[in-house]
Amino acid sequence: MSLFGSMNRMVTITINKNQYLAEEGEIFLLTAMRLNIDIPHLCYEKALEPYGACRLCMVDLVTCGKTTMTPACTIKVHNGLEILTDTPQIIKHRNLLFELYLAEAPKSEVIREMAAKYGVKKTRFLKKIVHEDPLLGKCILCGLCVRVCTEIMGTCAINFINRGPYTVINTPFFEQNPDCAGCAACAQVCPTKAIVFEDRDAERVMQSWSGTTVPLATCSSCKKSFAPEKLMHKVLDKLDPAIIEEIKSLCPECRRQHITRKVIRKVPKS
Amino acid sequence: MRIQTSEDLDSIRKRGLQKIQPGRPRIGVGTSSCGIAVGGIALYNRMHKIIQMKNLDISLVKTGCIGFCKEEPIVSVNIPGKALVLLRKVQEDDAERIISLALEGDVPSDLVLCKISDWDHITGNLVYGNGFDTIPEYGEIPFFAHQKKVILRDSGLINPEDIDEYIGIGGYSAAYQALTSMEPDTIIDEVKKSGLRGRGGAGFPAGLKWEITKKAPGEEKYIVCNADEGDPGAYMNRNEMESDPHMLLEGMLIGAFAMGVHEGLIYIRAEYPLAIERLMLALDQARTYGLLGKNIFNTGFDCDIRIATGAGAFVCGESTALAASIEGKTGRPRLRPPRLTEKGVFGKPTDLNNVETWCNVPVIIAKGALWYSSIGAKGNTGTKVFSLVGKVDNIGMVEVPLGTSLHSIIYDIGNGGAQGKEVKAVQTGGPSGGCIPVRLFDTPVDFESLNQVGTMMGSGGLVVMDEDTNMVDIARYFINFASGESCGKCVPCREGLKHMLLILNRIIAGKGTREDLDLLRELADTVQKTSLCGLGQTAPNPVLTTMQYFKEEYDALISSEA
Repeated sequence: MSLFGSMNRMVTITINKNQYLAEEGEIFLLTAMRLNIDIPHLCYEKALEPYGACRLCMVDLVTCGKTTMTPACTIKVHNGLEILTDTPQIIKHRNLLFELYLAEAPKSEVIREMAAKYGVKKTRFLKKIVHEDPLLGKCILCGLCVRVCTEIMGTCAINFINRGPYTVINTPFFEQNPDCAGCAACAQVCPTKAIVFEDRDAERVMQSWSGTTVPLATCSSCKKSFAPEKLMHKVLDKLDPAIIEEIKSLCPECRRQHITRKVIRKVPKS
Repeated sequence: MRIQTSEDLDSIRKRGLQKIQPGRPRIGVGTSSCGIAVGGIALYNRMHKIIQMKNLDISLVKTGCIGFCKEEPIVSVNIPGKALVLLRKVQEDDAERIISLALEGDVPSDLVLCKISDWDHITGNLVYGNGFDTIPEYGEIPFFAHQKKVILRDSGLINPEDIDEYIGIGGYSAAYQALTSMEPDTIIDEVKKSGLRGRGGAGFPAGLKWEITKKAPGEEKYIVCNADEGDPGAYMNRNEMESDPHMLLEGMLIGAFAMGVHEGLIYIRAEYPLAIERLMLALDQARTYGLLGKNIFNTGFDCDIRIATGAGAFVCGESTALAASIEGKTGRPRLRPPRLTEKGVFGKPTDLNNVETWCNVPVIIAKGALWYSSIGAKGNTGTKVFSLVGKVDNIGMVEVPLGTSLHSIIYDIGNGGAQGKEVKAVQTGGPSGGCIPVRLFDTPVDFESLNQVGTMMGSGGLVVMDEDTNMVDIARYFINFASGESCGKCVPCREGLKHMLLILNRIIAGKGTREDLDLLRELADTVQKTSLCGLGQTAPNPVLTTMQYFKEEYDALISSEA
């Protein structure tokens, strides 16, 4: 066990001809990020299994003098691992992929800035224009929202619809989905900020998801709405009922005040 | 009854032979999808009605397809003691005279294609007899003469809906031999020694895959047959399943025993209803005889095979997408590794082989690895079935030893272009393959040689193009297909193919520029190098090969605008 509490041993790897120490078994993309070696990526999320769909993190994996283009999110660190991140072929393909992204999500500032950082300022491809796009012309179909909704939240309120170039993400039949808990984890993980929702009075409206509307819980003390009811149920189910009974209907602010007062009251007067 | 001993198998074999050569005239009507499409079932029904009404002493059966699609519906007539005669392009109205002539021991001479005096089923030999001296032998017909039938050895001659006939020509004897007198590892060694390579397109050594699956940790494992054939112009697997379903089941049974697997799955596309129907029937019959289920051949080995139908997605032929589809998920490929042999269907180690790969197994066991490896070329042993289609004179299902030249297939067997037109190119490997120009027709058909000229074996479709075909249009057709079948997971395939299609549309409309050609080539390269799965990685091949071999056709479309 190392000083940092890690169970894995440290091994030597080579990135762009320089040697580094890295933790065996770690996903190479994370190693590179930690070492400040820049690899663009859009579909990787630490909480989920590597998905390998955005193809931007492609690097050259060197084995026995031969290079193979491989997504960095799929490479596990091992002793003697050799990677090249900026060969002419990597740059060439990556730039063309950026052009494809610029055409696919012409309204996305994130994509525009990311592409510009790598010197790609415009696209030679026809830009995709969708009228009244619920995802504002910013979606790159990386699938993070679908995977978070399904694999982390266990909700599966949204999914891919159609296939190939016609793929879109939305609720079934483009109708309001009562399964949606309104947690907005999808919006949280979206790399291009394509998913929009709004809290109006006692409701949260997931505008991107066919206007799915979920009620918000109201604080019993201050009467303000604070979190989707369904999400609260989900969370409260996991806690000790005895502890939560007195605070379950309070918003985070009122909860803080309530507990503080209680603790202060308990302080014995000297 | 359950078959437990070799005597049991022998008695069924005798019964099967009795059905194939019943001692009275036997008429077989080709009723695979190809035969049915041109009236095979109507013909069969008419004959059935006549025989019943007149209570005639004639045996009438449905047979599979003998491969000469151009001449369908093909009818075989066997007069006891005489050679089997194949009749071509038989119409419903010919039913009456075929039957009455058969009763007299004759055949209508105007419909005659050829005769078969004896036939090598490999697992057994059938002698039909002589006679009909004026009718040419099977081997004298150029379409048949250059073929070697191993996989298609029973197609069109036996009734695919009757297990007795398959057993009659030696079927399930290889399985009996394997299960009762061979060690599982010996079977794997035999398959390895035979040099059998996967027939789904990639050509991975089958025996090695079996060994990897067997050695993978875990008790519960699966074997799966990939019957999701979906290349435009390819229908080998469909025909194999429709004409001889038990050959597939026997191959899978031997494989399951060798790998110690007890559950087999056939993943078949829903667009093959007749193949599904015949497989279902074959499975039922095999279960009744105890060839599937518990304690097979009294050896204590259990194995069953079930059918999983796909929902019509080309990408589900990709191994990981296929596994996802079987599990009930959307058919989208995932990252590899882990490969299927490690983490396959329902997370269990899975051996996935193509229909034709499984079909090779019974003959390898029956005749031995040495016999098998003597067919074909070094490193590319055995035969391969191709569907020879497009603008070629003789359209049909052809089986040749690997290493046969394209020239031999297209000219000797196919008789060149249809209606006397000049052949220009051939497309192999479907949307994943490329177009080979006529000047490269000396290329032997094997896995490596085809890769060298920029295409691939694929599952075995050969689409012939003639002088009238526009190669840019062909490229567009395949890109349109691949784009429509892309699952949409990764960006190069989803967006890249779409833009390739848009550029090709522009070029064909006469609005393309030089820059468009450069961009098309650049994009094709990126899609090929960066796509997630085999579909995207190979989809640009039709564009890349046509741009390489038929550049002038692209140029012509550009310059016409200038």
